[in-house]
Amino acid sequence: MTRYLELPLIEINKKLKNKEIKPLDLVLECFDRIDANKDLNCFITLNKEEAIKKARDLETKSVDNLLFGIPIAIKDNIVTKALRTTCASRMLDNFIPVYDAFVVEKINNNNMIIVGKLNMDEFAMGSSNQTSYYGAVLNPWNKLKVAGGSSGGAGACVSARITPFALGSDTGGSIRQPSAFNGIVGLKPTYGRVSRYGLVAFASSLDQIGPVTKNVYENAVLLNAICGFDNKDLTSVDKTQEDFTRLIGTSIEKMKIAIPNFYMSDVIDKEIRDKINEVIEILKSNDVTIDYVDIDYIEHSVPLYQIIALAEASSNLARFDGIRYGYTTDKEVSSIDELYSITRGEGFGDEVKRRIMMGSYVLSGENAHNYYEKALSIRKHISDSFNNILSSYDLIIGPTTTTLPYNIGEGQDDAVKSFLDDLLTIPVNMVGLPGMSLPVGFKDGMPIGMQLIGRKFDEVTIYKLAAFIEEKLNLDLNPIGGER
Amino acid sequence: MSNLIPTIGIEVHAELKTKEKIFSNSLNTYGEVANTKINEIDLGYPGVLPTLNKDVIDLAIKAALALNCKLNKVMHFDRKNYFYPDLPKGFQITQSRTPIGTHGYVEIEVDGAKKRIGIEDIHIEEDTCKSIHEKEVTLLDFNRAGIPLIEIVTKPVIANEKEAVLYLEKLREILLYAGISDVKIEEGSMRCDANISLKESDSDILGTKVEIKNIGSISNVASSIAYEIKRQKEVINKGKKIIAETRKFDEKNSSTVLMRVKETGNDYRYFPEPDIPYVILDEEWIDKIKKEMPVLPDKLRESYKRFGINDIAINALIQNQELNKFMNKLIELGVNPIISSNIITGDVLGYLNKHNISIEDTKLTVDKIKQLVNKLENNEISSRICKEILSDMFDTDNSVNQIIENKGLKQINDTEELKKIIVKVIKDNQDAITDYKNGLDRSVKFLMGQIMKLTKGQANPKLANELLIKELSEI
Repeated sequence: MTRYLELPLIEINKKLKNKEIKPLDLVLECFDRIDANKDLNCFITLNKEEAIKKARDLETKSVDNLLFGIPIAIKDNIVTKALRTTCASRMLDNFIPVYDAFVVEKINNNNMIIVGKLNMDEFAMGSSNQTSYYGAVLNPWNKLKVAGGSSGGAGACVSARITPFALGSDTGGSIRQPSAFNGIVGLKPTYGRVSRYGLVAFASSLDQIGPVTKNVYENAVLLNAICGFDNKDLTSVDKTQEDFTRLIGTSIEKMKIAIPNFYMSDVIDKEIRDKINEVIEILKSNDVTIDYVDIDYIEHSVPLYQIIALAEASSNLARFDGIRYGYTTDKEVSSIDELYSITRGEGFGDEVKRRIMMGSYVLSGENAHNYYEKALSIRKHISDSFNNILSSYDLIIGPTTTTLPYNIGEGQDDAVKSFLDDLLTIPVNMVGLPGMSLPVGFKDGMPIGMQLIGRKFDEVTIYKLAAFIEEKLNLDLNPIGGER
Repeated sequence: MSNLIPTIGIEVHAELKTKEKIFSNSLNTYGEVANTKINEIDLGYPGVLPTLNKDVIDLAIKAALALNCKLNKVMHFDRKNYFYPDLPKGFQITQSRTPIGTHGYVEIEVDGAKKRIGIEDIHIEEDTCKSIHEKEVTLLDFNRAGIPLIEIVTKPVIANEKEAVLYLEKLREILLYAGISDVKIEEGSMRCDANISLKESDSDILGTKVEIKNIGSISNVASSIAYEIKRQKEVINKGKKIIAETRKFDEKNSSTVLMRVKETGNDYRYFPEPDIPYVILDEEWIDKIKKEMPVLPDKLRESYKRFGINDIAINALIQNQELNKFMNKLIELGVNPIISSNIITGDVLGYLNKHNISIEDTKLTVDKIKQLVNKLENNEISSRICKEILSDMFDTDNSVNQIIENKGLKQINDTEELKKIIVKVIKDNQDAITDYKNGLDRSVKFLMGQIMKLTKGQANPKLANELLIKELSEI
């Protein structure tokens, strides 16, 4: 097997330009890697025939951008025209979309090659990829461990060097947490930075699509490609096109960074805090100011998230009724209500049903006032508190997760556990800020992620600091080794 | 024993006359082949998001202003969650907490007295798809899914079926006039529901209300309300209780029949639509709509009255918007309003109705009608000639003078020629002359009629009249 896909993007691009290799070489290598890593269970649907066809088509075109001819895998809640999109649910096991998501159009416009659709937690509900109708994804660093979630397929796929790029989605940490668990770089952009058109909605006010990559520079390159204003998404923000790589390599001296006290409290495993502290020391010795701060209500963000996200989810998932697309029960039914309840009972998994019930409950009658509206007002407080701190600091940093990846099968009986995994990532979605998980080291052979949180639409500062730390640490992040 | 007093509230859904749907760029149409004016958004496919058609907001602002509402200048949309096959997303996007208009009214005239029917709120929402129930199956037509609607809800202040009809007719007129909706009940672009309850005359507490859904015409609204009041009175007088329920009008028996008993506390789990940001109605936007607002029927009525136009003509004008525009242009040109309104709502409207066309479909122009009216006013033509000329004006480009020329309808202004005719008329009508000598004035009119008959209406009426009187006095 060739090993082109482990090379830095710029080198692959050079080889393509020199005609040393063709896009087809990359695609074939990619499918070899998919075959070799079948046990990880990263993919739900492969796009082999189309990918090969596209690679051949590209042979007549000139290599016009860095991403030209590069294989990419897409989380299976992002719709792809004529390519099955399941959301890892029995409900959409047979669903072939009739249109492309905005980001998929962008990917195609950049002549990237979509090789398949990635496994995930069912409808992105979960944080260990164990709620997938198609089974859990294994962690490439230790196959007994979870790959995280909900973008577990994206995390493991990029970590195992199956594809250099993936697109994930993040509602409460679904890009950052699996990125931390798999030792890769994942960014949740500012809410409104990337169009959600074609992302099957979980919680509309929190969802964002983001890039998942091996390193910081390539992450910025992929964000360059997928962002932009979309008049089909009213929450998309019209910003002038910028180059997110532009501050990479510039000096970090005099940067001011805040660390929320809660993020370094004993709810976080000591090994993780130790690793973050090592990074803090490096930053201090490079003339970066570090201050510890308090953020109001941050410790309540999990119940707040449960109320807001699940309320929105209960409504967003109402369209799966067995009438127009997707799963319909083949049982005899005597009424339309029975058709709904049996179809939804059979089509959705337990976690999804649990969340729909909770979401319906918090919106029901008086509860809407007692829970939902109250949660919205506290969300506003948390936002103000974050934005206030970011008015005097360049970035907020801390760990991405509270624990290291745990064993597959663990924690499935505990309905709250999966939310607690996202304790440190949820507040970022609540405020709509950009947040990244960056690998900063290992404990017992498992990767640890650091979270970098920026001001709204200031992803470029996150990339600047992340690239600095990445260079200083110079970690070998390939699970089979040999990348440094 | 106290009396039972009806309290009625009316909800009207009106489809807005926009080119495109409210949340997608599919076309807003009626009567097209089923499921051809749809896209993935109308079907509620996974991953789609709503856009917002600004024209919808424009028309809704217009409606709110026309119905004298207070505008909610910071408004949002809400999701109303329920399951039904005609609802592709499993929720309807509507406005619950911030309806675009509140505290409005429509003024009606009941037996000469003015009454304001209070508007509780007017809100924007999307239409559902159309269910077509056949024997074994229900078919769904998504062409209607996402057509913009406004729902106009009155306060429970309507006293009887007569007021209900007056309110609906007035509302219809306003929505049509302001170009907000086609308000065609038969096509479903206007739909009416009535809520009816009875209360004791000495009590302030309203009775249990019954809703009659989707009534197919304004006259059926009257019939169903009348029936429902009678039915509820009978139930109460038997000592029984009214049950909160939804009924429908049975046209055949002119009665209402039970559809379903209302479940208590129907839980729609409303919450703000997260995919559509708040809409801010700034002064600039509102002013722009105010400027586009046409003169509404009540104002028109007043000004027509001032011009001395009769009530029948006024109503005819207001019911035909194109005709009304035409009339307004004539008034602007300073044409005699009484004569022109008579012509327009008489022979012209008769012709339009007969051929089922609009005035814009004919070759009539404001200038040509002006020429015609002026000739009539100056006695250059008689009303009979006027009719004859008019009959040629609908489908030719010829000017009034050309038509007169072509048809040989030129007026006889020659004194000698007229004298000859008058002498003949006098000779042939000796009875009338006897009457005249006996002092009967109407014989002059009769003789004038004979002159016009003989000349096919071409005699200059003023001149002929003078000459006739002169001849008669010499007898």
